Amino acid sequence: MLEEIKEKFSKDIASITSLSDLNDLRVKYLGKKGIITSYLKSLSTVTPEERPVLGKVLNETKLYIERAILAKENSIKEFELSNKIKTEYIDITVPGKFVAPGTEHPLNKILNEVVDIFVKMGFNVEEGPEVELDYFNFEALNIPKDHPARDMQDTFYITDEIVLRTHTSPVQIRGMIKRKPPVRFIAPGKVYRCDADISHTPMFHQVEGLMIDENISFSNLKGILISFIHMMFGEGVPVRFRPSFFPFTEPSAEVDMGCILCKGIGCRVCKQSGWLEILGAGMVHPVVLENVGYDTERYNGFAFGMGIERIAMLKYQIDDIRLFFENDIRFLRQF
Amino acid sequence: MKVSFHWLKEFIHIPDDIEKIAQILTEIGHEVEAVERYEDDVVLEINITPNRPDCLSVFGIARELSAYYGVPIKFPEYNFTPDVIDLNFNVSIFDPDLCNRYAGRIVKNVKISTSPEWMRQRLEKSGIRSINNVVDVTNYVLLELGHPLHAFDLNSLKGNMIRVGTPKTILGRAGKIKTKTLDGVERQVSDDALLIWDSEEPIAIAGVMGGLNTEVTENTKDIFIESAHFNPISIRRTSKNLGLKTESSYRFERGCDIKLLKKALDRCAFLIKNIAGGQIFGKIDIYPKIFQPTEINLRYEKVNTVLGLNLSKEDIDIYLKNLSFEVESDDERVKVRPPSYRNDIKREIDIIEEIARLYGYDKIPTNMPFASIGIDDQVSRQLSLQNSFRERIRNTLLNYGFNETINFSFMSHQDLDLLKIPQEDPRRKTVNILNPLRVEDSCMRTTLIPSLLKNVIFNVSHGNRDLRFFEISRIFLNENSSKEQVKDRLPVEIVNVGVINYKEKVKTLYKEESHDFYLMKGVVEALLNACKIKDCVFVRTTEPFLHPGQSADIYISNSKIGFLGVLLPTIINDCGIKTQKPSISLFELDLGKLFKYHTVDIRYRPFSKYPYIERDTAIVVDSNLEAITFQNLIKQYPTDLIEEISLFDIYQGANIPPNKKSVAFRIRYRALDRTLKDEEVDTLHSQLVSFILEKTKGQIRM
Repeated sequence: MLEEIKEKFSKDIASITSLSDLNDLRVKYLGKKGIITSYLKSLSTVTPEERPVLGKVLNETKLYIERAILAKENSIKEFELSNKIKTEYIDITVPGKFVAPGTEHPLNKILNEVVDIFVKMGFNVEEGPEVELDYFNFEALNIPKDHPARDMQDTFYITDEIVLRTHTSPVQIRGMIKRKPPVRFIAPGKVYRCDADISHTPMFHQVEGLMIDENISFSNLKGILISFIHMMFGEGVPVRFRPSFFPFTEPSAEVDMGCILCKGIGCRVCKQSGWLEILGAGMVHPVVLENVGYDTERYNGFAFGMGIERIAMLKYQIDDIRLFFENDIRFLRQF
Repeated sequence: MKVSFHWLKEFIHIPDDIEKIAQILTEIGHEVEAVERYEDDVVLEINITPNRPDCLSVFGIARELSAYYGVPIKFPEYNFTPDVIDLNFNVSIFDPDLCNRYAGRIVKNVKISTSPEWMRQRLEKSGIRSINNVVDVTNYVLLELGHPLHAFDLNSLKGNMIRVGTPKTILGRAGKIKTKTLDGVERQVSDDALLIWDSEEPIAIAGVMGGLNTEVTENTKDIFIESAHFNPISIRRTSKNLGLKTESSYRFERGCDIKLLKKALDRCAFLIKNIAGGQIFGKIDIYPKIFQPTEINLRYEKVNTVLGLNLSKEDIDIYLKNLSFEVESDDERVKVRPPSYRNDIKREIDIIEEIARLYGYDKIPTNMPFASIGIDDQVSRQLSLQNSFRERIRNTLLNYGFNETINFSFMSHQDLDLLKIPQEDPRRKTVNILNPLRVEDSCMRTTLIPSLLKNVIFNVSHGNRDLRFFEISRIFLNENSSKEQVKDRLPVEIVNVGVINYKEKVKTLYKEESHDFYLMKGVVEALLNACKIKDCVFVRTTEPFLHPGQSADIYISNSKIGFLGVLLPTIINDCGIKTQKPSISLFELDLGKLFKYHTVDIRYRPFSKYPYIERDTAIVVDSNLEAITFQNLIKQYPTDLIEEISLFDIYQGANIPPNKKSVAFRIRYRALDRTLKDEEVDTLHSQLVSFILEKTKGQIRM
């Protein structure tokens, strides 16, 4: 008889497809008035001898039904979920809700790279005013009034005594006055010259560097700057030092590196010379050290300076300096 | 400067070809920028640094090569015997400080015509136009020897005399005076400019340009040739004041060779006689103070320590002799007297540079310095904290999708007019540039907004959309009380961050997220959060360019650190932006102040291990009740069990009476030391709500 119930149940459960029908089925067999429940209640009416045997079979049947219902429940749930997911398909080829990430300005990107290299070599970072006294911008740097070297830089004037700094070199003076030797710092920043054409903008960026200590030689200047160029532009880039003139350094040097575009063969960018001017440098002029009260017999050192626009133009192969300051988003997004 | 290779070879035997010479000159400090090839000659374009006026001639370059090769140099031919010794001519120097030497010669009965072909060609290759044989010879000698000469028409010169002096000395009174120069321009000369006079009037601006009244023309028969030495500073001032730069002033202001001028004069007379004929008269040479060479002590050891070399005493002596320096040496040092043309050699270091130059910079070994580590000082430490603070701000903005811009530091008052910034606003006290390139760039920025606005206008006009820009740069504030700029007081420089967001109506797949004001306020809050600044207050702003209902001033500890808001639509219109429903929101903050208030001392605060309980409530209050009042009320409530307050709905409209709004909030309760019970929180929450209702005269929303 229990076999019949089992068979009947199997038939019933096979046709069920929803959780509510399954629940009805559960009530039908296992509910308070369900088939199995009523059989269990009728156990009291059978003989004590038959009772254990029947009880065992009944319980097995009950367990069988419970398991089958649980299995069915899981399969219906799974089926329903997979149906639901099928209705939730979206077009994955539609463009995403794109928020463009911000981009660093290429000049600041290069500036930070340069600063980073020198900081790793133990240089501090110094700053100074952009609106500067004539004294710091020129005189303390051994460029007196009426000196032809002033022609090297077209100056914006605020008053007779105040200028927009034409280079970051006045930071050398301010930085040395603030400290006692030895000193070692770089000074990145904006500088201004009264000049505007395809290759000049009235504002541009420089990084100045200064190292003062005992026993610093021209040979050390070469060591630091060659390392810098190699870190910035790659190991093995040829570097050339040639004499030049800056009033605040003596000996002064112009530093060229092999053209990174044509590898020194000669191209438009290097004006067929194979070399690119990249840095100005030199041993700090004793007059400059005297101006800040340093003992020139005990201390000496070197200074250098470079233009960030030029480096950025070379690295990114940008041919018009004005692009940096137009801030066209199509330009900015490339960096 | 242009130098003909053929001409150069007249003075020195050159063992190398032109490419090698170009390389050598560059290596010893005279950068060859270009090599121009002609059929019969090659011309080098050389960049001569301002400290080396002695190289501004073919002979000067030959002298450099002679020092490099250590070979002798040949001076051009200049000897002759004067035809007439007797002279009826007077020269007197009235300002001996401004004119250290004045020499001259008279040549009579010259035949003015065109110069010979070879001379014209050399002049033209060097960029000088041929005029007539006499003038051409003066220019030729200038190019050859580097000394400027001038020829006067002797017969238009009155009184057989030359006086050298400023108007102040000659006329004995101050004031400008007028004179016409060779180029036909009448010029106003200041009373301290050195002039050349005859017995009556000025006939030349000394060292700059000759006068029209004594010009050598085709009718000239007799000439007076001037070869002088003028004070460089005086020449430079005059040239600058007049805005007149000539081959002559260029050399005089850098410094000429006081000893060479006599030879240059004779070379000139010699060539004139050869080319234009005539009789050369005896010489005039007023030379009050004879040149004394500087005497410099050079320590052999210093050469090696400065350069990082190991040169012997003998090596050094050879370099010095090749440079024609007079030397007297002992074991330790050498007494050096540089020649009269090397006025750039003033001290020991200058001589060391000369040795380095001839030795070759490239041959100097490359060594890293031995330096002490840890020379970090407090000044540097402070700066590095500031820099990393700025980097944090910058990175936050980059992460929020803003593109970094860099603009010129300039602006104009028109930019401030556009923003309706009133005259008494501190941003009107600008630092003004005396010589701006354009009126639009006539003063230094006092705010970053105009530049950012221009970035938006530029991009919109190029069809770019959806723009988010920021700039971190200095602004310049003139803090003087008076409008006048104090001569030597520097303005205050403050680092600001300016941020701008431009949107227009675009058809998009995705729904617009939030109001521009809240979007930008969120960015400000992100920045404050990055600096760990908590006590920040937003109050309605008075900035005249912002929408009064959608903008705020930002305060920390009663100090205004910036503003934030939506740009007035009328200003967007004034900017000429004609896109669909454009909207611009922006903010500007003073990073100096932000740095001052940012938290450096971070202290760990323990947080609870126990579960939280949340309660939501919606209340109806007056529509003008601000969220901040509401939040402050909750914060005031005396309990330490509130962990977080969040507003999740603000609603006005259907089912809410006019002038009212519904505010829905969620409070999260949690204790640090135990698990809260539901009943406890129920009581606390209902007490809190009653407190709020009482203070805001609100009602529970049903």
